[in-house]
Amino acid sequence: MDTEQKLKQWQQAGLLDQETAEQILAFEKRQPAPKKLPLLLMIGLIFFSLAIFSFIAANWQAIPDLAKVLLMLALMWLFYSIAHFSEKKTFGSPLLFRVIGLAMFGATLLVAAQTFHFPLANSALPWAMFLAALAHFFYWKNLIYSVIGFLFGAAVLISFLPDIGWLEWGIFIAIAIAWFYFSKSFAPVAFSWILLFASGFMLWGLVDYDSSLWPIWTLFALVLLLLIAPEHKQRMIRPLYLLAAGMLLAAYLAVRGQTFISIIDASHMAEAIALAIAGVGVLVLCFFKFRSLMWIAIAGSIGLLLFDETAIGLAVVAELSALAYLIIAQRQNEPLGLGFVYFIVVQFVIYIIYAWDRLDMSLFFLIGALLLFLLSAIAWWINRRKEGVKL
Amino acid sequence: MKSWLFPIIQTAVVVILLVSYYAASWFGEQYVLRAEPFDPFDPFYGEYVMLQYPDLQTSSVTDDSSVYFTLKNGDDGYAVIDRIDNESFFGAIEGSVYGGSVTAPQLEQFYVEQGLGPQLESAQNLQVTIDVSSWGTIRPINLQERSE
Repeated sequence: MDTEQKLKQWQQAGLLDQETAEQILAFEKRQPAPKKLPLLLMIGLIFFSLAIFSFIAANWQAIPDLAKVLLMLALMWLFYSIAHFSEKKTFGSPLLFRVIGLAMFGATLLVAAQTFHFPLANSALPWAMFLAALAHFFYWKNLIYSVIGFLFGAAVLISFLPDIGWLEWGIFIAIAIAWFYFSKSFAPVAFSWILLFASGFMLWGLVDYDSSLWPIWTLFALVLLLLIAPEHKQRMIRPLYLLAAGMLLAAYLAVRGQTFISIIDASHMAEAIALAIAGVGVLVLCFFKFRSLMWIAIAGSIGLLLFDETAIGLAVVAELSALAYLIIAQRQNEPLGLGFVYFIVVQFVIYIIYAWDRLDMSLFFLIGALLLFLLSAIAWWINRRKEGVKL
Repeated sequence: MKSWLFPIIQTAVVVILLVSYYAASWFGEQYVLRAEPFDPFDPFYGEYVMLQYPDLQTSSVTDDSSVYFTLKNGDDGYAVIDRIDNESFFGAIEGSVYGGSVTAPQLEQFYVEQGLGPQLESAQNLQVTIDVSSWGTIRPINLQERSE
């Protein structure tokens, strides 16, 4: 509805006086009219660009190798230029144009890869995009670049397989640590942390020694990262450590209890003991420095507990840690959400391990559903009490 | 002004990449390899033909993930292995041996026009033209059916 009509209505209803209505009207008239492209012009432009693209696509094979790559490069320059001028003259969205420009850089590399028959296991493309996205992120500080950087960082890690070298791995870790260190907001800090954690999995390809405990070693090594992080950043990433430790415990429990994969044998005893000692070290360090992270030291016991084929030891540790975490978090009035998810996951992993083979299928799901109801009821009840509802 | 730095650096990266491939043609020798296809298609990069090379055989090295070799032109005009070694030497192509067959990552696949893959695959007798630089990098030039 028209502003003028609206104002008249409000005036008649006694909500506005004459003077205010006139002031509002005068103010609205001074506002610049929004610039709109005519609809037909927009449709025409879309058709025109479709025509250009289909013409290029139809003649793709006839275009010389070099021209293909230069064409994509020209598109990249076009979008960076539009971004530059859209920022100067404040029209459109410079961010969007720049992201398209970055995407065109990726497209240029893809076209070069296809034209010059890159080997399939080539990490040049993800590396180039990873570094370009990070550079964009540090210059323009926008979340979208950190998302792009994270995706291509993951692509770099995947491209390392199956042949991975220490040098490339070391450079990747150095870059991820720098990203972690110089970022301030949660998303890039979390992304770089996840990449660091994931690069620990590469040790399976790097080291000849066959260990199943690399993820736990990685998690413990990442505790050192907290030493270079200022207080607010520590608080930011604490949940990631707890989350990773919880997931590891549940994952090892599930693998040991439910599958027949032999993940550990007598030759790993020394490593398991070393891990337990490292766990004690983490416990001591966390006790003095980051007390709320002491929980992750529990993961140090996984190595020794894996030797028990029945997985009862792991189940007991998972169960007790989940319960203890919940009770302590509740007494200290800390958020319970993640703790509860972990608690429920542990219950279900244990339930599946010990009930799957012993129960009729329908009974298994029925009891499982009842268990889930019961656990959610407990969660709801505790949450109610926490909010101070009198029973 | 600094914002122009990004497209400039990114262009430089692409130019370096291109030069490294063209250099193989400028400072190298051309070989034609007898090739056989198997198993095409990559959803990300596009259609390609996986290739193996009946002439590139070795008996001195068996099953190794990294070997170093050079090529020479054989009597029939198709390239064969000149020298092969476990240790790197100047001008060598880095590749691998599996079951006596030698290949290099750059030789394993060849991207072709969409729809051409199955045709080349059924042709069985193929030949690949490559430029090899004097420091061992490869630039694949052409893949076509072999007339014998």
